[in-house]
Amino acid sequence: MIRCDPSRTPAAQHRAAILLAIGYLLAGLVSVSQSGCSTHAKRIAQPRNLFYDGQLQACRESLEKLSKTNRHDRDVVNLDLAVVDLLSGQAKQAETRLKDVRDRFDHLEQDSFAEKTVSMWTDDQVRSYSGEDYEKILLRVFLSLSNLMQDGMDAESYTLQIQDKHEQLAEQFESSSGKKKDEYTPLPLGFYMRGMLREATHHDYDDALRNYAIASNLLPNSEPLQWDLARVQSGVHSQPGHGVVYVFAMVGRGPYKVEVAEQPTSAALLIADQIISAVGPYKLPPTIAPIKIPDIVVPPTDVDSVGVQINAQRIGPTSSLANIEQLAISTFQANRNSIMARAVARRVIKKATIVAAKGSMDKGGLTAIGMDLAGIAWEASEAADTRCWGLLPRDIQVLRVEVPTGDHQLQLSPLSASRPVGPSQQTSVRVVDGQNTYVICWFPDARSVSQIMCSNR
Amino acid sequence: MHRREWLTCFSMLTAAGFAGCRGYQYGHVIKPGAENLVGSHEAGAEVFDPLVDEAVAKFLARQQVSSEDCKIGPDGFPAKKTICFIGIENKSAEDIGDYKDKLYNQIDSKILESQSFTPISRRMVDAALHETRMRPDALMLPDNMQLFTAVLQRSGAPVDYFLYATLTSGTTKRNSSTQRDYELTLELTNVHTGAYDKLSSEVRKGYHKSAMGKIWNYNPLKR
Repeated sequence: MIRCDPSRTPAAQHRAAILLAIGYLLAGLVSVSQSGCSTHAKRIAQPRNLFYDGQLQACRESLEKLSKTNRHDRDVVNLDLAVVDLLSGQAKQAETRLKDVRDRFDHLEQDSFAEKTVSMWTDDQVRSYSGEDYEKILLRVFLSLSNLMQDGMDAESYTLQIQDKHEQLAEQFESSSGKKKDEYTPLPLGFYMRGMLREATHHDYDDALRNYAIASNLLPNSEPLQWDLARVQSGVHSQPGHGVVYVFAMVGRGPYKVEVAEQPTSAALLIADQIISAVGPYKLPPTIAPIKIPDIVVPPTDVDSVGVQINAQRIGPTSSLANIEQLAISTFQANRNSIMARAVARRVIKKATIVAAKGSMDKGGLTAIGMDLAGIAWEASEAADTRCWGLLPRDIQVLRVEVPTGDHQLQLSPLSASRPVGPSQQTSVRVVDGQNTYVICWFPDARSVSQIMCSNR
Repeated sequence: MHRREWLTCFSMLTAAGFAGCRGYQYGHVIKPGAENLVGSHEAGAEVFDPLVDEAVAKFLARQQVSSEDCKIGPDGFPAKKTICFIGIENKSAEDIGDYKDKLYNQIDSKILESQSFTPISRRMVDAALHETRMRPDALMLPDNMQLFTAVLQRSGAPVDYFLYATLTSGTTKRNSSTQRDYELTLELTNVHTGAYDKLSSEVRKGYHKSAMGKIWNYNPLKR
């Protein structure tokens, strides 16, 4: 910190001030070159394209490189890597990665004042990312799926963890929003998976009924869920000599965040005013230039479901159980004003810092220019936090079909308005008497390369 | 803004930064006999452990007294009754999650330890349900019962009794306080005669939104 020592000559003070300004400027430029202007959205663009082109190995290498070079991106990149692992047949590796991220997110859910403080002087990217609410649930859903692709020994535990997380998020919702816990809308897929596994025990139909009923209440128009309810109320898992195939279809390209410049809303300015009043004697300026914040982008898709055929016999389309697009948008909208308010508060604090630093030195023209340049570089180094689980589908859909035991040919086709819009994928499935067989497929769009994984292959 | 004010503010922010850090999670082993945690939102060990202890103790005591249908073994001593514990049905207002399988094992182990019955392994029960594709709640139909016991007999486990456990609850609300009565019922049916016996245990629990809720609602001086 430069001190205005009255014993020093004006020329010495002037030199010191210029040195400080140059220091700020260099720090700002280094910051810009390292992270400023660069966002997670830009860094992840190439691996995402490789993934949708079906180049899973190249995508994995690109993501692993990103994970090593960007510390703050590591957790979300690991989530993307887990998806790549799962779809390339490395379910065990996917499960390990997901468990690591689950534990990290649980730890990072606690507030860190250190990070909050640093983020006021830099940007939101320095804050640790503990995942959006829907990502925390989907993480456990993918853990269950990864485990079901192996021996399924821990799948029930993971579905219990989904319920625990739902409960925890509902309590957080109650305390943060002031609304009742019952008004929290959980993800139906978690309840469905719990019901599916309990039904497969052949004796816990009461548990299955309870979970299907919750999922059905969340999706009252879902006809397959009504069939599931009816079956567990009075029927059985499957007839003797039959097993069940569950097709989990990942449909479309999922939402991701990008950086946009927007004018602060009045609600955001109100929150920002509260933040800056709390941290010091700052005041909001009458006008604020557009600020950088993240926004949700949902790529267009031409696939809305997946048609299932077994041994050339049409079974039907998959049915939605997790509309990730809707979840991502609603979650972001709920937090948008807070994100914007932090960006406004940050700008005010940065400007006030520069003004205070300039005030502490002499008011020479060159010094002022140097300080202003440093201030510009400092503000330019700021970027929106666009971290998110980027390789999620737009929708997760399920189809359940009971088939005789033995080997069957399963054919999956991308559908739009119930009509095939792309090439079909075939795989063989082995159905075991009284047991479930799980198939995971991903159809990003009609042109992209689709992937299929089967639990007993 | 004055430099001093700015410096003060900077110091405050920095101090706040160093003051707040994320904590870690720790665990410890609970000594036998130590008090259980009391669940704040739903039932846990504090409810289920006494429910099982009481219900099974009552059940075993009554079965030792009633010996009207006691068979005599080849050695001239009363033969143990073979019991098939079908499962637990949760009809309470709460999802008991991972407690369901624990309750099954607790009841099954206590019956086995009593030496009064010969329980059939759960794996055999599951295999028979799987093979016959019958719902546990449909086993009381005569044809289903016959088929199910025949499958178990073929596996070397003849059955004398079916045992069902049912968890139910009743809820009473008063403003921001709730009382929930948990009941565990054991139902024993003789597969040869159709005779049945039933007994239950109960634990009542109060849930309150404030720490004073217990004192306010369960004050002995009240009413």
